[in-house]
Amino acid sequence: MRLVVARCSVEYAGRLGARLPDAVRLVVLKADGSIAVHADAKAYKPLNWMNPPCTITEVDGVITASNRQAERLVIELHEVLYDSSFELGQDPGLAKDGVEAELQELLAARVQTLGAGLRLVRREYPTDVGPVDLLCRDGAGRAVAVEIKRIGEIASVEQLVRYRERLDRDGSLSPVLAVLAATRIKPQARVFAESRGVECVEVDLEELRAGAPADLRLF
Amino acid sequence: MKFRCERDTLADAVATAYRAVASRTGALPVLAGLLLRLQPNEVELVGSDLELTIRVRVPAEVDGVGSAVLVARLLQELMSRLAAGAVRVEIGEDQAKIEAGRFRSEVRTLAASDFPRLPEAEGEGVKVAAGPLAQGLRQVVPAASKDDARPILTGVLIAATADGVRLVATDSYRLAVRDLPGLNLLGEGRSVLVGAKGLSELQRLLPTEGEVEVFLGERQVTFRLDGTELTARLVEGEFPNYQQLVPSGYPNRLTVQRDALADAVNRVRLVGGQNRDSSPIRLAMSAEGLELSATAQDVGQSYEPVEAKYEGTELTVAFNSQFLLDGLEATGSSELVIESVDPLKPAVLRASDTSDFLYLLMPVRIA
Repeated sequence: MRLVVARCSVEYAGRLGARLPDAVRLVVLKADGSIAVHADAKAYKPLNWMNPPCTITEVDGVITASNRQAERLVIELHEVLYDSSFELGQDPGLAKDGVEAELQELLAARVQTLGAGLRLVRREYPTDVGPVDLLCRDGAGRAVAVEIKRIGEIASVEQLVRYRERLDRDGSLSPVLAVLAATRIKPQARVFAESRGVECVEVDLEELRAGAPADLRLF
Repeated sequence: MKFRCERDTLADAVATAYRAVASRTGALPVLAGLLLRLQPNEVELVGSDLELTIRVRVPAEVDGVGSAVLVARLLQELMSRLAAGAVRVEIGEDQAKIEAGRFRSEVRTLAASDFPRLPEAEGEGVKVAAGPLAQGLRQVVPAASKDDARPILTGVLIAATADGVRLVATDSYRLAVRDLPGLNLLGEGRSVLVGAKGLSELQRLLPTEGEVEVFLGERQVTFRLDGTELTARLVEGEFPNYQQLVPSGYPNRLTVQRDALADAVNRVRLVGGQNRDSSPIRLAMSAEGLELSATAQDVGQSYEPVEAKYEGTELTVAFNSQFLLDGLEATGSSELVIESVDPLKPAVLRASDTSDFLYLLMPVRIA
């Protein structure tokens, strides 16, 4: 990864013509063969860039990137303020948190978190408008449909109400209670849920994780 | 330039090289292609994802020499559907004509100049028996991790022993160790870590008889077979100290017929539904023998007794059912031994009649 902070001007020729006039900018040349010109704005978006495969040459303070589509990006460095290269090595990649799936797994293992006396009947209980995350029975034997979200919104309540309506058609389940479980439930969703007879339960993911038994590993 | 080749020959070569083609090409779109190198009397097909490169040479009538890259998936699907007979390929500046029987196709090529430089075999070649190596890989490779978050565990350790070589792989839940005496692949005291994906492909390619020539370089290892060459990058880093995990003795010992146990595991775990691979299966061991059971809270329970001989204290231990089945499969012997300490310590699976393979399996915690 090479970082160059320089007063520069940039010309692009290809699908259209574009020019960035003389100003101080950051030029990023990555090990993957890409080049990007950044201003101190626009967050992650460069002002101009070229993706690999492209050929990058530097002659007498002019960096030129060109590719097979005959596009050319020409960066004239008028004054170099900083120029340094770093070996970043292999990136381990972005580890995304599958919060809803994990929540469902954790709550399925401990449905009592959602209400005393609850016991799980089935995860992903099918209805003709889609599966409801959990179907449980409470201490009195009543069916409880549980929809699990990371953030509980009005749309989540509407979704759960649709499931409840379908489940209520099954005489062995009706009348079905409904619980919306989320790490955070928006105030408007809470009001709407109350008006539709849906109970809201906020759960703490970290607490649920802490309560889950850790996998046994060799090392 | 052009060449003519029999469809069966070309289809086999394309299918083999295709196995190394990158599934995600990222910054190098050309890696979605197969490099075709036309040489006098033969065509070499090359697939690579940079970690693994497979090169296959096939005899062909060649007119003109040079290189081109064709989209691998298209070529592979095309070859698998063409009728038997001759295939003619004519490569132009940016497209290739493919003809077979009444079939005609003109497809765009990718720039051969963008294809990465091909790794060449480094070091001095060592010839070893292909059959035992294939068997060892079959036993060990499935235990390697597929999680790139711990890259060292995605490799298989190949370490020199006093009389041959040892293969070791682990994903931290199970560990497979196979000794291959007489397979003098490495110099004394040497060990390398090779990506499991590459070795899995090698295992498919290795014949049951004959030899494979191995070239060990600084950063890569090349396996050369008749007409095919597979090069895998070495994984950098230190493999965990696995030897300390294998106790010298176990107080509890179960002897059981492998197929009977595997069949019962497959039946009992069905109750786990879609999660059956990761669902735990309990082994209740006592003087009466073995009873398997599985419970899925939202589905139900299953039980099955299995005839077995047990020496030790009464014990119930649970394992990930798929990992247990992998171990049973890898052990290979008709009768096997499961040795255990307690429900939270690793158990060992091994054949009752040989000591060259062991499979260490971590239990699953159960309520």
